[in-house]
Amino acid sequence: MSTVPLAHFLYFALALFSIGLFGVLARKNAISVLLGVEMMLNAVNINYLAFAKYWNWNSLTGPVFVIFIIAVGAAEVAVALAIVISVYRQFKSANVDEVHALKG
Amino acid sequence: MANNVFYILAGISLLSALMAMTLRNLFHCALFWVLAMFGVAGVFLYLDSEFLAAVQVIIYVGAVTVFIFFGIMFTRNVMDERISVMNGQFALALIAAVGFAWITHKAIQESSFRGFEHPLILTQEAAPDTGKTTTLATLVSGPDASSNMSVENLAGDLLLPDRGFAYAFEFVSILLLAALIGAIVVARKEPS
Repeated sequence: MSTVPLAHFLYFALALFSIGLFGVLARKNAISVLLGVEMMLNAVNINYLAFAKYWNWNSLTGPVFVIFIIAVGAAEVAVALAIVISVYRQFKSANVDEVHALKG
Repeated sequence: MANNVFYILAGISLLSALMAMTLRNLFHCALFWVLAMFGVAGVFLYLDSEFLAAVQVIIYVGAVTVFIFFGIMFTRNVMDERISVMNGQFALALIAAVGFAWITHKAIQESSFRGFEHPLILTQEAAPDTGKTTTLATLVSGPDASSNMSVENLAGDLLLPDRGFAYAFEFVSILLLAALIGAIVVARKEPS
C-alpha cells in the first residue's frame, strides 16, 4: 500500500515541467525545444493521474484526458518535425535563433 | 519499500531529464529523454494506470523516438564544438523556470490538497453507484472489479457514446489524420 503523499507527485511533475520549460527557452536546436515541450506534456499527465488516484477515483476523466494529451502530443511531434525539416531545407540550419527571416 | 520505488523512478526521470536538456550531443539528449519517458511510465504504473504506462512506452519510447532520431539525422549540421548549445537567453530561461517552480511551490503549499496523504481505496462497500447502465466494462470485468481505473472502464468511457467521450475520441482520430497529411504536405519538396 502506497503512502507517498499527493504533494510529492505534484513536486515531481513540477520539477519535470520546469526542466522542460528551461529546455524550451534556452536550447538552440529546434529538436531540443521539441523534446522540452514533450517533457512538459508528460509532467501534466503525471498530475492528471495523481489527482485521479488521490482525489476522485470514481471518475475516469483524468486518465481519458491523458490519452487525449498523448494523442495530441504525437500529432504535434509529427507536424513539428515536418516544419523543422522544411526550415532546415530553407535555411540550412535547425537552430531556432538563426531562423529570423520574419524579424523586422 | 513500496515508497522508495516512486522516489527512485522520480530521481531517474529528473536526472535524465536534466541531462537531456543540457548535453551537447543531440543523440545523447534524445537517449536521456527516452530514459526520462521510461521513468514517467514507471510512475504511471505506480499510480495503477498500467494501460497508460503501456501507451506511454509504445508511443513515446517507441514511435516518437524514431521520429526524433529521423529528425536529428535529417537536420544534422556540423556545429562548431566551441559554440554553445544554449542560446543567448540562458540566464533569462533559468530565471523563468526557477521562478515558475517557486510560484507553483507556493501554490501547492497554500492549497488544500496537501492533506491528501493516501490514495483513495475503492472498497466494495464504498463503491458508489454511478448510475451507469450495463456497459462494456461491467460485461467484461464483472461487477466485482476492484479498481475503477481498469482498462475495461477506460475503453468503455472512450468507445461507448452514452459515457460522453466517444465523440471526442473520434475527433482525436480526425486530428491525427489531419496532422499526418499536414506533416507530409509541409515536409515534401516543392515540385519545381
